[in-house]
Amino acid sequence: MSALEEIEQGIESLLTEPPYGVEPQQRRSTLLALLKQELIYACERNPQFRNYVTHWPIDFREAKDIADLPYLPVGVFKANPPLALVGAGEVKRTLTSSATTGQVPSRIVLDAATARRITKGVITIARDFIGAARRPYLIIDTPENLSAQGELGARGAAIQGLGSFASEVVSCLRPGKEGDSNLDLEKLLACAAKWKDADVLVYGFTYVIWTQLVQPLQRQGITLGMPNVRVLHSGGWKRLERQAVTRDVFSQGVAAVFGCSANRILDYYGMVENVGVIYPDCDQGNKHVPAFSDVIVRNPLTLAPVKAGERGLIQVCSVLPTSFPGFLLLTEDMAEVIGYDNCPCGRRGTSFRFAGRAPKAEVRGCGNLENTRYQQAQGSGVA
Amino acid sequence: MSDPVQAVDSPQEIACAARQLREIIRQKEIAPQVVLEIFEQWAAALNDPELHEVPGITFLRLWLRRGNLEPMLLRELGPSSLSGGWWEDGRARLQAFPLGVVGHWPAGNIEIQPILSLTCALLGGNSCLVRVPSGLVWVIRRVMEKLREVDRNGLLTERIFMADFDHSRMDLHEAMAQAVDGAMIWGGAEAVSQVRRLPFPHWARVLVFGPRLSAGAMDAETWGNRTERSSWCRRIARDVWQFDQQACSSPQALFLERGEGCDVAEFAEELKQAFQEENRTHPRQEIEPALASAICLARASWLLGSDGNSAQFPETPDWTILLGSGAEMPNPTQGRTLSVLVVDDLLEAISKFDGTMQTLGLGIGDAKKEETLARAAGRSGVDRIVKLGRMHVFSSPWDGTELIRPMVRLVRHVPSQD
Repeated sequence: MSALEEIEQGIESLLTEPPYGVEPQQRRSTLLALLKQELIYACERNPQFRNYVTHWPIDFREAKDIADLPYLPVGVFKANPPLALVGAGEVKRTLTSSATTGQVPSRIVLDAATARRITKGVITIARDFIGAARRPYLIIDTPENLSAQGELGARGAAIQGLGSFASEVVSCLRPGKEGDSNLDLEKLLACAAKWKDADVLVYGFTYVIWTQLVQPLQRQGITLGMPNVRVLHSGGWKRLERQAVTRDVFSQGVAAVFGCSANRILDYYGMVENVGVIYPDCDQGNKHVPAFSDVIVRNPLTLAPVKAGERGLIQVCSVLPTSFPGFLLLTEDMAEVIGYDNCPCGRRGTSFRFAGRAPKAEVRGCGNLENTRYQQAQGSGVA
Repeated sequence: MSDPVQAVDSPQEIACAARQLREIIRQKEIAPQVVLEIFEQWAAALNDPELHEVPGITFLRLWLRRGNLEPMLLRELGPSSLSGGWWEDGRARLQAFPLGVVGHWPAGNIEIQPILSLTCALLGGNSCLVRVPSGLVWVIRRVMEKLREVDRNGLLTERIFMADFDHSRMDLHEAMAQAVDGAMIWGGAEAVSQVRRLPFPHWARVLVFGPRLSAGAMDAETWGNRTERSSWCRRIARDVWQFDQQACSSPQALFLERGEGCDVAEFAEELKQAFQEENRTHPRQEIEPALASAICLARASWLLGSDGNSAQFPETPDWTILLGSGAEMPNPTQGRTLSVLVVDDLLEAISKFDGTMQTLGLGIGDAKKEETLARAAGRSGVDRIVKLGRMHVFSSPWDGTELIRPMVRLVRHVPSQD
């Protein structure tokens, strides 16, 4: 059996485990062994990655803990060409992150095997929160994001990730004239009438749901009367925080327009670089880690894992990708570790709460240049 | 006694303080001799165990000594400047008079900088309106209390108003700008650009220090010398550690001239030991999460960029040495991250400096070679060329500009009796 086949077998075995039922110590030791195999494989496939791993202060082969393994900061996926473990001919799809204006997006390459696994990963997690049944799927987005091929954005990836739960699919936004989108009210009301009491899955980016669905419906005083929806949303709170929309305000607003209870609104954390793993809130308001991944929250001062109750930078770990080295990634997000096991919701392992993006330093001193004089003279560039 | 650093909440408070400062200048002259005398006493008072932990306090005590400031004053304002008298200039006479109220916008990353900035303006006889960055209020309050102890008649303290307000309060920044005759602005690109846009009066002289970058350079003879190498590495570590590498005088890169028999891995090993030692002596107490992220990204980007690149770093974000080759100045990461780049010719690296470089720290064995490098550096926009280990020693001129003279008016008197 080849190294890759052995790895694939290990991943498949983890994907068939109950996602939140494995005893934490056992889960960590299985993950550690598999991640080491994946690092060896990645080093063989990519000499630059090998160079990074070779310079890591700890020899990963000797590591006793996942926290000791060499992790990459997510920013490295902004490189062009994208950091990959497969040749261009094997790339089935490229995912891009939702970078705001002026920012460079991350780019993640997927081969067929990784694409299959990430779909399975999302289904395994989502099933634990919303059940396995297929149901009508209402997408708060434009139809263009359903059918994109080749390069796919974060919104499209999230929408397609939940596609396996759909018995039929409707997207209720339509493209606007200026590249924006707006609500197709007629279509939405028709769905609401048709699916009235059905168990409906709804997904949209957090700020899209708020600005394109909730606000227009609120303005017109429309309630959809769909008490059995499950609304999943992701994509971050930054834009809504600017509008002073808190999580409670959001959940209550969404629940009010659908006519459901607020506990049917599920926020999940996820990112393109950690594709295949999503972190929905449990009924205790905590996020959990499935059997095929782990989360380590690191103290920024020491980069060592924090104790329960402490905050730090989130590192995500996943065994799913083999087409890009996304096994161990330090994000630019902060979280608080709630506990390392025994969440009252019954899910085993680490539970955490998202605490926003790492705040930018207010002052970086007189050594902080934005443009060099040369770049200024050229009229472009940020140092 | 009032708080030496006043919390300010309205533009009126700033306008009122500025009026009082202006009135004092009109009513009372102060000779530089007197200023120097009080500074000397202030330096002695700062030798207090409670202040020993304040970064830069030892340097501030040396800075305030008469032996340091008097030569600077004489050089910038002429031989009669100590007594505040006239000096001959051909058929005319010259005398320095204060510009008026000088506003100070110090950078938030250097604890003693508000004091360094205001001492320059006080030596010119000015009054000072200082915006103290929020993170420095506690330190500045303690340092100013020491001035009050020695300045019993308030000769200097009555000329200083220190304001504490949030950096986002543009109304207060504007009130400060409108009230001053001169400004000394220090800091990073964003802060400096923001302050420069303030509505200063058309007569105000605005002096900007920063943002700048700095680097080091060593010839093969020096860094290849196994006997002296560890001492040079300690000097470099000291320059990197001070101000957490956020000062304009902090080295972000070190260029090493390629030399036969010189092993860069050996050098990196000694530099690593120096960094470890400096870190033991001066461990970081806190770090912005964004900086920790940036350090991790710098390490990864460097090593993923080419499998010929190398690096030394611990599991913590405490320090990083990025090793490779090339004459281009890399983008700075700060946070004790030094790029060590081997070049065939130091002149090649220096010729690529683009005017943003403030200080070049040198370790060069041959004086003639150093002379050539210094001239090239000057042509490429470098303002300070010093020995490695002394990159942060604040002195005049700074950023290519004198520190006292720009904030005085040189009055020319041609006697009418002739």
